[in-house]
Amino acid sequence: MLSLSIRQISRKLKDGALLPSDVCAACLYQAEKLKTLNMFVRLTKEVAEIQAKEADSRYKNGNIRCLLDGIPVAVKDNYCTLNVETTCSSQMLENFKPQYNATMVQKLQNAGAVLLGKCNMDEFAMGSGTVDSIHGPSKNIWQSGKCATSIEHVHSVKVKCREFYQLSPPSSKGSCSTVEEDDWFIAGGSSGGSAVAVASGTVFAALGSDTGGSTRNPAAYCGVVGLKPSYGLLSRHGLIPLVNSMDVPGILTRTVDDAVTLLNVLAGYDPLDSTTIRDDFIPLDLSQDIDISKMRIGIPQEYHCPGISDEVLETWSEVADILEKAGAEVVSVSMPHTPSSIACYSVLNQCEVASNMARYDGIEFGLRTAENRSTEELYASTRSQGFNEIVRGRILAGNYFLLQRNYSQYFVQALKVRRLIAQDFARVWSSGIDVLLTPTTLTDAPRYSQFISRDNREQCASQDYCTQPANMAGCPAVTIPIKLSKQGLPLSLQLMSQNYRENLLLAIARWIESVVDFPHLELDI
Amino acid sequence: MTVIYNGRKYAFAFAITTLFTRRCSFCTTNVSTDSGNFILRKVKPSSSQIARYTNEAIFKNKTRSHWKAVVGLEVHAQITSTSKLFSGAGTEFGAPVNTNVSLFDAAIPGTLPVLNRRCVEAGVLTALALSCRVNPVSVFDRKHYFYADLPAGYQITQHRLPLAQEGELEFHVFIPDVHHKPYIKKSCIKQLQLEQDSGKLLHDEEACRSLVDLSRAGIPLMELVFEPDLEDGEEAAALVKELILILQCLGTCSCKMEEGALRVDANVSVHREGEPLGVRSEVKNIGSIRAVAHAVKYEIDRQVRTLESGGVVVNETRAWDTDSRQTVPMRDKEEKQDYRYMPEPNLPPLRVLLNGQHAIPDIKKDCVNVDCLRRKLPELPRETREKLINQYGISAESAVILVNENNLLKHFYGIMGEKKSRDPKLSTNILIMELLTILNKNKLSLETSPFSSYSLGEVVDLLQSKKVNLVTARKLLQEIVSGNPQSPSEMVEKYGWAQITDSSEIEDVCTAVIEQNPRLVEQFCAGKTKVFNSLVGKVAKITENRANMALVVKVLRDKLSKIQNS
Amino acid sequence: MNRLLKHNTTLIKFWCLQGNARLLNSKIPPIPVVKLTDENNLPPQTKINQETIELLERLSLVDFANKRGIERLEDAIKFADLIRGIDTSGVEPMISVLEDRTLYLRDDIVTEGNCRKEVMSNAAVTEEEYFVAPQGNIPLIPRDSLLNDNKSSKQK
Repeated sequence: MLSLSIRQISRKLKDGALLPSDVCAACLYQAEKLKTLNMFVRLTKEVAEIQAKEADSRYKNGNIRCLLDGIPVAVKDNYCTLNVETTCSSQMLENFKPQYNATMVQKLQNAGAVLLGKCNMDEFAMGSGTVDSIHGPSKNIWQSGKCATSIEHVHSVKVKCREFYQLSPPSSKGSCSTVEEDDWFIAGGSSGGSAVAVASGTVFAALGSDTGGSTRNPAAYCGVVGLKPSYGLLSRHGLIPLVNSMDVPGILTRTVDDAVTLLNVLAGYDPLDSTTIRDDFIPLDLSQDIDISKMRIGIPQEYHCPGISDEVLETWSEVADILEKAGAEVVSVSMPHTPSSIACYSVLNQCEVASNMARYDGIEFGLRTAENRSTEELYASTRSQGFNEIVRGRILAGNYFLLQRNYSQYFVQALKVRRLIAQDFARVWSSGIDVLLTPTTLTDAPRYSQFISRDNREQCASQDYCTQPANMAGCPAVTIPIKLSKQGLPLSLQLMSQNYRENLLLAIARWIESVVDFPHLELDI
Repeated sequence: MTVIYNGRKYAFAFAITTLFTRRCSFCTTNVSTDSGNFILRKVKPSSSQIARYTNEAIFKNKTRSHWKAVVGLEVHAQITSTSKLFSGAGTEFGAPVNTNVSLFDAAIPGTLPVLNRRCVEAGVLTALALSCRVNPVSVFDRKHYFYADLPAGYQITQHRLPLAQEGELEFHVFIPDVHHKPYIKKSCIKQLQLEQDSGKLLHDEEACRSLVDLSRAGIPLMELVFEPDLEDGEEAAALVKELILILQCLGTCSCKMEEGALRVDANVSVHREGEPLGVRSEVKNIGSIRAVAHAVKYEIDRQVRTLESGGVVVNETRAWDTDSRQTVPMRDKEEKQDYRYMPEPNLPPLRVLLNGQHAIPDIKKDCVNVDCLRRKLPELPRETREKLINQYGISAESAVILVNENNLLKHFYGIMGEKKSRDPKLSTNILIMELLTILNKNKLSLETSPFSSYSLGEVVDLLQSKKVNLVTARKLLQEIVSGNPQSPSEMVEKYGWAQITDSSEIEDVCTAVIEQNPRLVEQFCAGKTKVFNSLVGKVAKITENRANMALVVKVLRDKLSKIQNS
Repeated sequence: MNRLLKHNTTLIKFWCLQGNARLLNSKIPPIPVVKLTDENNLPPQTKINQETIELLERLSLVDFANKRGIERLEDAIKFADLIRGIDTSGVEPMISVLEDRTLYLRDDIVTEGNCRKEVMSNAAVTEEEYFVAPQGNIPLIPRDSLLNDNKSSKQK
């Protein structure tokens, strides 16, 4: 049941074969069973059960709201949920109970979806591993020993892996709730919890956020579909921001079709968010298959960057082959400013962080230390205790770049480079390219020990390479799992299209998905 | 004592204040004695020079003419609107603590700003009235600093590309008794920007803490940054007065300084003529128009004093203390501040429609149309004054006074509107010279007085037709002000206040007075012309002040000159 | 479509099992295409002095004006310097991807507020209807020299 798509489970609910409460119970059970993966910061069990019961009556009475009605979902812990703690995996907001629902949460609720819980993340979305969290790291379900996969050889590969790697205990960084003998694989970040929740069948869909790849990165590592819609399509009201000019709510599902279902519920203008576009949103309809032979697929050369694994490269190549064989025109394109994107992003990110984090002082909300000698002392004390070093380091750096004497050569320069990157995209679209096909991450999911051996900034710098540029330009991007690596971990690829062309993007994504037939996990209890 | 800025008279006043370095009051009544003592004290060490230092010499040496002051104002005006700049919370003054506060105003994470159309319109209207250039595209910025009344740790303002720039404000500088006539001064406006107001702190010194009320946080402000082209406190006060008239006329700001709806900060520096500009200090916490004049003047004097005694003027922020009537250093809010202005990422650029330009598809009907607003501009004070002078022929000074006092102007229009034949000059005299005096005497104000222009108009008529004299007119006004429901004509009838204009009657009375006061007549003939007034007074008394005094004077003079010549 | 599917699935499986290196699609660049940053183009590495870190700490209030903080900062600056050599002459800064769109203006009506309880529900310290803050405008107590590795700042 848990590996069904939303459309399929919705069918069963409609037919009366199942009740929303049954589904909810199954998901809660799954969540409990997979507790050690630490995907949830908090399970909202009572809320979920109440919502499921309400959905039960709706189904009984035939008042079904939409496809999502009664379906368990989860949201990343940076979405404000009314009266439910929203921590951003930070001590600063550990006990913060918002008095309002984020628009995305409200829309899910209005659609009848059942909120199962709040998902783990990197503190304030700063990270690409979901390891920098006060709740401990999240673990990838793949190769965790928790689930089998449908391809048999992976078992033997797994055994070989365990023999091959010295099983070094994880370092003391972050508090693991249960220290397993295996050095597990990271879930990716910063929306790692959401990705694992979807991959594990605990929920049918989850919300993440995407600023530099935070939805697509964990989606790629966890073998699920990760959609970053166009900037301005989905409301950010209630999404605690990282970089306001690049943040987008991200959608994580097991199939492209499910992502479309979510998108149709969530997209649209919100008067509470001045950065949503006012054009009327026409719900996507992918019922018609597209004619792939009419498509022009771009392969941007610069996305082959140092550090990319052979397997990823091969996967990229294979899918290009598949498309070509189906008659699509696969074209090599150049986006020369791609390599600058990460450095440019680091400046803009840190500047916005310095600004966005200025409100955390303990006076109106959040952590507050007992310090009371002066406002300055209280702020410094609260913020140093409430933020981890990554956050604090970014605040310092951001303020450095925003200093009057540095503003021009760092911040303004970064904004100019941003335009150059956006122009790269514009040039590609105007040359008739429908979608770009690129890797999502440079490798399959790294091991935890390997991941933490490099610092946060370095990790983001390399892991975000292929995903970050889409945030610069605001264009939609989706990652879909293609096949498994030698280690038995998912390998995914990314598609990007012109802004607000989600219909085209997802149609092509769905085509590829159907062709590659990715071996999903066996999820049923 | 109002201080005046010309020649010796000012030097005198200025010298006094410099000499009173330790005295923190403007009380200058005991000037001469104290200054004398002080001078002696001052020059004690060098006795040989005592002789040289007479009062006049010192004053001459210290004439103000070699010091120049440079004053630039920054005005924050709360926009009159129902809801706040970026949130839907209410704005009424005096609301209970922390009630007009939305989640956004408290900087709760995840909340976003949404701009209020009314505020943009108010900003544009004000910009147009001040002849500014409205920018078709303007941008919001974040200004970062930590303070407990700023929950987000930054203020949303417009720093780099504001709503409007390069305007000017022309105003009259005229204080009756101080200036001979009004002179026109112009101050240029650097920019007009929309920004958020901060919350309010209640300092609890005992408990070493501040209580925070965020009701004011997020209230819309227009900040007007003027160029430093003023020279003294009176000019500053006059500028503020004119600005208030304009804003009230537009309805964009209530200008109630006592409620903090209009706040003026003054940047003041001094330098010797011919030398480069001095270090400036900023004066805040000015609560009234007169305080603007006083605070600026005090600060100029303070800086001159400091420099003349060899001190250094520090770039700092000072507060105007109304009780002690001096500026005092504020706790240094800034130290080495860097506001790290950054464009507000949650607000795309603000576009307004200019010159009928075609809207880009996204705008539709939501955009603010500047031309539309321009057509809606009401008559501005400057235009009103010109109309009064040109249409009604009254003097510039009278026009300034009438426009400065809206209730007076309303009465003027009421009086003139009812009967076009009424003499405008007479009407303004009645209003400005007579009515105001009587109101002051009775400790009443125009706003709260319940009489109408009709009654006033009648008084004008009675005067104009010489049915009553000025003294009687004053009596009538007194009755009106006291609330007497009768009309002036009725009162004249009832109390028999009609003017005596009959020449024979006046002749008789004058003759009688002359006869009854032989001694005064003698003195007059002897050359003591002042006693004439006493004689006139006696006539007035006998006639109960009802005689036409011009006639009385004429008749008396005739008679007395006859007597003199005989 | 089904035929194609089956064919390709088999191919994928084949490749997975074999783990062969094979010729890449012609459009895929076989080697990394990254313009190595010209070392000469980079500005000299910035060293943060005491004055700057104190200023930044005052502006940031994160209690990170110590050796670790400085190291991180210098590293971040070094990384950011990579963009300084890029030729951006004639390029306008791009503040937002929505720069061509215009700001939505809302009507001037009261739609929020009057929710003191909600607004104050997350405040750790309140006094009746007020939020509470210590006295402000007192400069930070001077920290030790920046050479100290300040262990009191949280290491998680």
